[in-house]
Amino acid sequence: MSTPSLRIRGLRKAFPRVLAVDGVDLEVARGEVFGLLGPNGAGKTTTLEIIEGLTAADSGTIEILGLTWEIHGQEIRSRIGVQLQSTSLFNKITPREALDLYGSYYPKRRSTAELLALVQLEEKADAYHITLSGGQQQRLALALALVNDPELVFLDEPTTGLDPQARRSLWDVVRRMKGEGRTVVLTTHYMDEAEALCDRLAIMDRGQVIATGTPASLISDLAMPSVVELTFEGMAPDSSAFAARLGQAVEPRADLWEIRTPDPKALLPRLLEAAEVGDVPFQQVHIRRATLEDVFLQRTGRSLRE
Amino acid sequence: MMLWRQFVMEWRLYSRDRVAMFWTMAFPVLLLLGFGTMFRDGGGPRLSLVRVLPQSPSPSDAALGKALVDLQLNVQTLSKAEAESRWSRGETAAQLEPAGAGYRLRLNSYLMAQAGATAGLVNQAYLMAQARLSGAPEPQRIPIQMESPGHKRSASYVTFLLPGLLGLNLVSMGLFSVGMVNVSYREKGKFRRLAVTPLPKWIFLLGQVLHRLTVTVVQAGILLLVGRLAFGIQNQGSFLDLLLIMTLGTGCFMAFGFALSGFAETSEGYAALSNLVFFPLMMLSGVYFTLDAAPAWLQHTVALLPLAPFIRALRAVFNDGASLAGHGLGLAIVGAWALAAFLLAVRRFRWA
Repeated sequence: MSTPSLRIRGLRKAFPRVLAVDGVDLEVARGEVFGLLGPNGAGKTTTLEIIEGLTAADSGTIEILGLTWEIHGQEIRSRIGVQLQSTSLFNKITPREALDLYGSYYPKRRSTAELLALVQLEEKADAYHITLSGGQQQRLALALALVNDPELVFLDEPTTGLDPQARRSLWDVVRRMKGEGRTVVLTTHYMDEAEALCDRLAIMDRGQVIATGTPASLISDLAMPSVVELTFEGMAPDSSAFAARLGQAVEPRADLWEIRTPDPKALLPRLLEAAEVGDVPFQQVHIRRATLEDVFLQRTGRSLRE
Repeated sequence: MMLWRQFVMEWRLYSRDRVAMFWTMAFPVLLLLGFGTMFRDGGGPRLSLVRVLPQSPSPSDAALGKALVDLQLNVQTLSKAEAESRWSRGETAAQLEPAGAGYRLRLNSYLMAQAGATAGLVNQAYLMAQARLSGAPEPQRIPIQMESPGHKRSASYVTFLLPGLLGLNLVSMGLFSVGMVNVSYREKGKFRRLAVTPLPKWIFLLGQVLHRLTVTVVQAGILLLVGRLAFGIQNQGSFLDLLLIMTLGTGCFMAFGFALSGFAETSEGYAALSNLVFFPLMMLSGVYFTLDAAPAWLQHTVALLPLAPFIRALRAVFNDGASLAGHGLGLAIVGAWALAAFLLAVRRFRWA
């Protein structure tokens, strides 16, 4: 089909004290896993909640599966699946009951047994929601998002608060969704997650999309896609004298210096020479490809984690 | 089908909260037992009088004492000091004390209802005592008869109390618990996940109203059973009529609660709002005192409120064994409020 799963133009939403979404355009193709990456407060969740019909936008247009909220509200709700950032269910409902109940709201539905198996909650199927661990609650929320066999699934920070193993198994579920031909739109502030899961990404900051593309293209489009790191034992020393000698910017981190470059091969001999002359007590040298973290850093001048 | 599932799930979740369920069921029963024990015999609370005797009581003091007892007053004779301290604590409604050659009756201005009635009886007793002392023929009294609007006379005050409790319980459940629970669930985000499903609001709300309706029917059943076993109170009318009235009333006041919850942002706001509705409804219902003295426009307005016709119909059926035929208009008013409140509730309802 040619219509995209999602097309957004000029989305804008101001809250009394903050402009949460400031002119966002997005387009997500069918069958794609699309990520909104950005730090907390970048406007990812607000954007998602506007798309899901939970929050009204001040302006902008949204087309979901070729439909609009104004005209096709019920049909959109029937065809999308949503995992909210935090899904608060009634304390004493069990996963089996919740899946049965929510399934009953839809014309088309997947069996509760199948969903419980998919998110590995069979053993907890009859336990009260309040007794489930954070990871189990998150998995139930994911199963609820799939209860209507949706074409388009929205996942808001699906792995926040999960342990590494739980994250991996959630990634597997997302990959299976893609394998089943669903379109997935997720938000995350983990760059490794964005890189591992997403076909394409929009990097958001302060309510705006500052870059869009595949993870690989976002990185290779950087002016300086490689990073050389000098690591130290303990705290990294002051880098200004070294930077002057090298004739290039050096960014000090806690226990290392980062030097960005388009051409590490040319940089390395100069760098080692400067270190020799300045008697820099570094321990190791690493050359690595820039990450999405670096993309964010280079475009905003700030770290993703700030 | 969707409605049925919603209804069943409400009941299931409700029945898991054992403590809340127990108290919901037990509360009206406790009220009934409490009032029933307090006013076990006689028609309602008995009037009592504190009496202070002079140092050396005269024959006329004794005659008055006898007359007071003859008139069924609950007379408590205390010393001047004891009586003063009881008066200061505000526990005395009426106090009879010697003054000069005669008596003085002090009435507590905070307890005017009892004090006023007591004063009438005391004066009557005084006339009686004087007549007896002078050997004149005893004054004739006009016979008094307590009777309900449906011409029923019952020895027990609790009989008349029970339908009032049923009604009051239902109103307070609708306005206070149901609406409050709704607001606090919304505050906690319990409805957010439902907002992204195609579940229509009206089905969700109607499921809750139906659930509460059945809760109140069970509650009423328990209350009637306890009333019957503990106090021998019987429903004089048809149970079907009673069910119909309860259904309309529950629908009305539950919908009231849901509608109000749509106007409050927080539970604190809801508490204020529900009181704002509850007290005028109570005070103006004409159930506790008549509004004969109120301006005509107020009486006309009040006639359209749902509480009075609801309680009136409930009492008529339960105490007087009346048929519903005479209460068509009243029940239509309750039904209209129920429908209007429900529509407003659906319109104002927000998931988050």
